[in-house]
Amino acid sequence: MNSISVSDTVLKIEKLNIVFNSYVYRRETIRDRFVRAVGSPLSSLRSNKNQLHVLKDFNLEVKKGERLGILGHNGSGKTTLCRCIAGMLIPSTGRISVNGTRRSIFNTTIGIIPELTGRENAYLLSVLMFPELENDERNDLLEEALEFSELGDFLDTPYMHYSKGMQARLCLSVISSNECDLLILDEVFDGADMFFQEKIAKRVLNLIKNSGAVVFVSHNLEQIRTACNQVMVIDGGNAWFKGDVEEGIKLYTSRGH
Amino acid sequence: MDNNFKYKLLIRQIYELAKANMRSRYRKTIAGFLWVVLNPIIMYSVQSFVFRKFLKLEVPNYSLFLLCGLLPWIFIVMTADMVTPILDFSGELLKSFKMSPAVLVYAQVLDNFINFIFAFFLILIPTWIFSDQTFSGVIFLPVALALLVAGVSSACWLLSVMQVFFKDIRFIVSFLTSILFFLTPVFYPVEFVPEKYRIFVDFNPIYAMIEPFRYCIYNYNLELLCKSLLRSFVVCCMIFTLAVGFWKRKKNEFYLSL
Repeated sequence: MNSISVSDTVLKIEKLNIVFNSYVYRRETIRDRFVRAVGSPLSSLRSNKNQLHVLKDFNLEVKKGERLGILGHNGSGKTTLCRCIAGMLIPSTGRISVNGTRRSIFNTTIGIIPELTGRENAYLLSVLMFPELENDERNDLLEEALEFSELGDFLDTPYMHYSKGMQARLCLSVISSNECDLLILDEVFDGADMFFQEKIAKRVLNLIKNSGAVVFVSHNLEQIRTACNQVMVIDGGNAWFKGDVEEGIKLYTSRGH
Repeated sequence: MDNNFKYKLLIRQIYELAKANMRSRYRKTIAGFLWVVLNPIIMYSVQSFVFRKFLKLEVPNYSLFLLCGLLPWIFIVMTADMVTPILDFSGELLKSFKMSPAVLVYAQVLDNFINFIFAFFLILIPTWIFSDQTFSGVIFLPVALALLVAGVSSACWLLSVMQVFFKDIRFIVSFLTSILFFLTPVFYPVEFVPEKYRIFVDFNPIYAMIEPFRYCIYNYNLELLCKSLLRSFVVCCMIFTLAVGFWKRKKNEFYLSL
């Protein structure tokens, strides 16, 4: 991952290709191999070199102030793209350049050490997500986030006893407490209850507005309408539309998604 | 972000997570932090008693001799056992947001190392004081400890990354350490091993990390101590190179395999 000098561009992706080898996600035990060798001796001699081409010659530029919503059916490569931008996956070929700090969130019910209390887990989550913060800054941020979560006395009970909704409340409150240059959010509103979803949506929207640029993945079109000012539709490993939100949503729905 | 600042942040994360690990481990137990020393003390006492009284090993000052080998051994085996599956079992967490997987590994190593240091000195100091051994080797103890923690950290990083790709690793580690306990001169002196079987000792990486403790505490000999420290250093470098090499080769597939 490289830094880019054009100050207005926060994210630039050039000719990105992501290819997964089938053996990575299809492991065989000795028993499987034996059964395959007995069942089909010839095919077992051939090496298993199937490849899955998830993103093909993918190009993208996101400028400061852009809030890009990504639409696409399951398995179209949205999460893979986000993980690449986050620096978790390394492109097979191509280049991803990010100007500034980036933060990515793919799950909102994370417990770092479930045996510890919600408050302790919130602290750990902030240390792992925002390690650059000084202690005073972190304490202020946590105090505000924990108050926002409205978990009250539950904050001092073990995280492992929390319901999914309570876990989402705590994580979303901490995650949404600090802005950055590039924010990557992959279906972050799932899990929280109806009342809290409205409350957190406002907070996340505020975070989105204060962050430099945002890449936002959601299947909820209303959320895309509220949060984004650009839409990209991905299909078959390519971006076949990038532009106006309403136009993008219309194209996405008209393709039978 | 420059590299120094990145490492500083990484160390901060490791320290905070190790602290939290320690807090969570003994929460709700009656003995609490006492378990840190109880486990090695019990192991050490029972083995010391059995080998001295039942097997009647002819080793002068056997308690101190056993202490130098057994406690580092417990640290190495316990840490490898705990850390090997750590990345594999933390897949959900690692895929939730971008964080260095090394934080999880090194935080657990640090947690175990702090426990080991407590237990080591709590048992070592009284045993050493009541023995007639010289204290000259004490100045080399920090070097032996540094090499031990460096070797264990590298080995744990290698094993935990391997476990993500090969799910059999933790079973192999557990099986190998059980065998190695008898093949490593922990409860008997290296001199007891016949010349033709010395290969098990010469190519035993765990013994390479344990040996300097013997020469620092039990059997101080500057020349042999320097040789053993050098051997330990070479083993550390080899494990580190293997760990870095394996990570570089496999890092592209790491998140896919979680």
